[in-house]
Amino acid sequence: MTETWTMTKALNEGLRRSMRDDERVLLMGEDIGRLGGVFRVTEGLQAEFGEQRVMDTPLAESGIVGSAIGLAMRGWRPVCEIQFDGFVYPAFDQITSQLAKQTYRHAGSQSFPVVIRIPYGGHIGAVEHHQESPETYFAHTPGLRVISPATPHDAYWMIQEAIAGNDPVIFLEPKSRYWPRGEVDLAASGIGVHASRIVRRGTDVTLIGHGAMVATLLAAAEIAEQEGTSAEVVDLRSLSPIDYGPLIESVRRTGRAVVAQEAPQHVSVGSEIAATIAERAFYSLQAPVLRVSGFDTPFPPAKLEGVYLPDADRVLEAVDRALAY
Amino acid sequence: MATASETICLLSPEGVLVESEMTERLLPLIEALPEERLLDFHRQMAVTRRLDVEASHLQRQGQLALWIPSIGQEGAQVGSGYAARQQDHIFPAYREHAVARIRGVDLMRLIELLRGLDHGGWDPAAHGNFHLYTLVIGSQTLHATGYAMGIGLDGASGTGDPERDEAVMVYFGDGATSQGDVSEALVFAASYQTPQVFFLQNNHWAISVPVSRQSRTPLVRRASGFGIPGLQIDGNDVLAAYAVTRVALDDARAGKGPRFIEALTYRIGAHTTSDDPSKYRDEAELAYWQARDPIARYETYLRGRGVADAFFAEVAEEGEALAADMRRRTLALGPPPQSKVFAHVYTDPHPLIAEQQTWLEHYERSFGGEA
Amino acid sequence: MTIARFPLPDVGEGLTEAEIVSWRVAPGDRVELNQAICEIETAKSLVELPSPFAGIVVELLAAEGDTVDVGAPIIAVDTEEASEAPAEPSPADVAAETATDAAATVAEEDEGSGAVLVGYGTTGNVQSRRHRLARAVPATAAASVIAKPPIRNLARELGVDLAVVMPTGLAGEILREDVIRHAEQAKVFHNLETPEAPVDREERIPVKGMRKAIATAMVRSKFTAPHVSEFTEVNATRTMELVKRLKASPDFAGVRVSPLLIMAKAVIWAIRRNPMVNSTWTDEEIIVHHYVNLGIAAATPRGLIVPNIKDAQDLSMRELAEALEQLTLTAREGRTTPQDMQGGTVTITNVGSFGVDTGTAILNPGEVSIMVLGAIRQKPWVVDGEVRPAYVTTVSGAFDHRVVDGDVISRFISDVASVIEEPALLLD
Repeated sequence: MTETWTMTKALNEGLRRSMRDDERVLLMGEDIGRLGGVFRVTEGLQAEFGEQRVMDTPLAESGIVGSAIGLAMRGWRPVCEIQFDGFVYPAFDQITSQLAKQTYRHAGSQSFPVVIRIPYGGHIGAVEHHQESPETYFAHTPGLRVISPATPHDAYWMIQEAIAGNDPVIFLEPKSRYWPRGEVDLAASGIGVHASRIVRRGTDVTLIGHGAMVATLLAAAEIAEQEGTSAEVVDLRSLSPIDYGPLIESVRRTGRAVVAQEAPQHVSVGSEIAATIAERAFYSLQAPVLRVSGFDTPFPPAKLEGVYLPDADRVLEAVDRALAY
Repeated sequence: MATASETICLLSPEGVLVESEMTERLLPLIEALPEERLLDFHRQMAVTRRLDVEASHLQRQGQLALWIPSIGQEGAQVGSGYAARQQDHIFPAYREHAVARIRGVDLMRLIELLRGLDHGGWDPAAHGNFHLYTLVIGSQTLHATGYAMGIGLDGASGTGDPERDEAVMVYFGDGATSQGDVSEALVFAASYQTPQVFFLQNNHWAISVPVSRQSRTPLVRRASGFGIPGLQIDGNDVLAAYAVTRVALDDARAGKGPRFIEALTYRIGAHTTSDDPSKYRDEAELAYWQARDPIARYETYLRGRGVADAFFAEVAEEGEALAADMRRRTLALGPPPQSKVFAHVYTDPHPLIAEQQTWLEHYERSFGGEA
Repeated sequence: MTIARFPLPDVGEGLTEAEIVSWRVAPGDRVELNQAICEIETAKSLVELPSPFAGIVVELLAAEGDTVDVGAPIIAVDTEEASEAPAEPSPADVAAETATDAAATVAEEDEGSGAVLVGYGTTGNVQSRRHRLARAVPATAAASVIAKPPIRNLARELGVDLAVVMPTGLAGEILREDVIRHAEQAKVFHNLETPEAPVDREERIPVKGMRKAIATAMVRSKFTAPHVSEFTEVNATRTMELVKRLKASPDFAGVRVSPLLIMAKAVIWAIRRNPMVNSTWTDEEIIVHHYVNLGIAAATPRGLIVPNIKDAQDLSMRELAEALEQLTLTAREGRTTPQDMQGGTVTITNVGSFGVDTGTAILNPGEVSIMVLGAIRQKPWVVDGEVRPAYVTTVSGAFDHRVVDGDVISRFISDVASVIEEPALLLD
């Protein structure tokens, strides 16, 4: 059975299902209860599950994550919402010094099933701190899992899988993809939560990305097709761990790879992927692995986001370069 | 030293019970204690101090990377430690060795932590609900608050049965009160009316920074700013520590909301064995506090109650024996297995961990003989 | 006497040395466990050290005022009478253990190379490396052409098609020398460029020397012996696998292994089963040789020569490999002697090494058979009803029909091909 939902609706339904399945799951964050969240992702959930399980917290990100850790010690399964990507930093210490290390510190005597949902990324014309891509900081932190759905179907399933898992998860929601609709297969996910997926088949170059970037890569692939270049597109879905199997298999066939991300390039997830592909598919590469990223500047004022964010043209420029080798 | 309008003290520095309106209300709690428990107060303080001294020696002999002395703070810790009930959960900072012992934690866990064998690693559920030491200043206050929120959600407090109702006690220091996380913990505790006692050991120093740099007002006043009732006590008075904490915990577990206790005490020793207080403290201040030692005053009190020499001698011997045992066991500690690097990074299986662990195994096997 | 030594500990999380400020004990003194024995000054502070043992002080190993490295022993105590066992020098952390090792080598005063920027310092104690047992195994390679980017670049510059280059790398990859060798031979067998149109209408070259000799020999061979050629295509995957394994084997370290080696062994084996192919025709009699002097056609810029390996049937696989390598080197250097080229009984010509599939060869005069080893390429092959990529080559040969008929020729070709397909037959 399938439904056609926005990602917001898919997340809402996924959260609802998780909360129905397990009464230890609770939601906490700013404005998520009565208001239903600034993006309405948690709409209706406080009415259904009550104030105790859907908590409007004080305005304190570190407090949200820190108390979630304590709740997890007590056997609850907290799902925290950080209202915007740029506001996760006050909670950074609780996430990296505490949450990421608690299982290790406890030598496995407890698990810490805390999910932290963060709307992230650009393309929404917002003011400063509301269009960040902080995934690298968390992917770089051992002890965390980092995932990001690109479609409503993946959003529906991955949020449930993140909640059901026993490890801390940073769940990055590409907010520019909140409103486009997509088919959601309610029967099954069809794929592991950390698996990467080839979403378009091609022969000449492999395009790799996550979150909102996947739509951009598909658009670039369509244009490339008209020009006679057959591009394969891979949705990473998980940034930590990264499922390299399909990536390497793809690059072995195409011989060329372009990794695209909204995040700034210097020391990014894209850089890690480029290095790993070079190491594992060295003899298959006809060209170096190229990266297309945001510039290494703070995210610019909204009027300049079109210049800053990689679009199909920037992706195709890299494809041209890769093919020229 | 910043005192509030009333600093609660049941037992003076001279070891004499104090008669006052406040003590009148609290002394019954002391009188209700069996004699055995009153002797335990001394035993715990004295033995913990003896083990603490031994641990410092072991550090100076190269057996530990670090030791964190608790000397001078035994009164606050033992009193509050005994005030907690078995079902309570304790969130320490990293200096609460006496509380650890009272909750049943073998100090070898702390030795192993400070020798670099692990990051703590004991299971709180199997160690009297004494949670792991947290080295990031103040972070534990949020974890404790979250835990207490969880107790509330479970309906495991406020039922009116103090034998079963649960409460949380979190320890932190004067330096920690400047950290944002501590404020946030107080915000959440007040908002959600958690069954929780915030126990602040104001030992007057955060390494080399005096408490006057942390606050221009007695720290206990912070509590009312958050809407949480707070009391200040003479932290070197084990009886006050016991009585006030007992009331606070029982109020919290009865659903009356969080409580805050500031225990005025002093860090007689250094911050850790890497620190040298002679660089920033003066002898006079040290002497002032040494004259207010928790163990000395309590011994005077017990002797005044008729406790004989033999008891004190026996406790001293016990201290010596336990110290020798701790030494023996420390010297016998071997290196941790290499596999420990990779153990328990995640609860669920993780491919990158498995890959790197396998790599290291192959790498180690590729070496032959001695370097 | 049980002497225990107390190594200077790191008392402050990463200190590397300390100065002995004052001793509180002297040799001969009785010392108790934890008794303060000295005061040291570190970068951070003045620290009293408590004795880790009880006993009698034997020797103070550092003097007041000395700066001592962490890990160096500072006092020796006779602990025999004490109930405590002396502490093992097992300091808390790995850093201290490394320091102990370093301290043990201090006496040697082994300075570093000094070849480092000022400020970075080589502070004595050249470290040695842990001894590795096994060689690093190269990563498994992809299925298609394997060559590192610089090699691809070189191939492109030299106009070499990597698909036809015989790889000699351990992981099956094409090495720089493979590309260069191919290019060198390509210069001989491929036209790389189109020269300028000649100015003269004709060029006349005198027929003499080697050219004359080759012409004479080829004419004699071709127009006296009726040549018959047969061809067969075979799946050479197992030969390629064997070549790869031999290359990696310590028994074949230092010697070139190539499919030609397997071909040579195959020919020798097939000759045992089909002796007539290894003979010489004279008008009166056919001399069947019970030895194999294996000729290998070697192209040199001056022309084709065929030196042979004497009694190749007696050589082990390794010896044969060495002989083949030696033969090639000698020919390339122009040092092949007339004796090397006399007495051959059978020849192999390796057209595969320059990318050609097969050909009809001309017999070396006095011989009855010449085998042609073609290029080994990946091609589709049907295995169990499925089309799969496999290494495929053409095995062919030309034969003197005066001596052998089609059936012998076919059986011989078939035998050689069988070995290429299944080298394990050589174990017979």
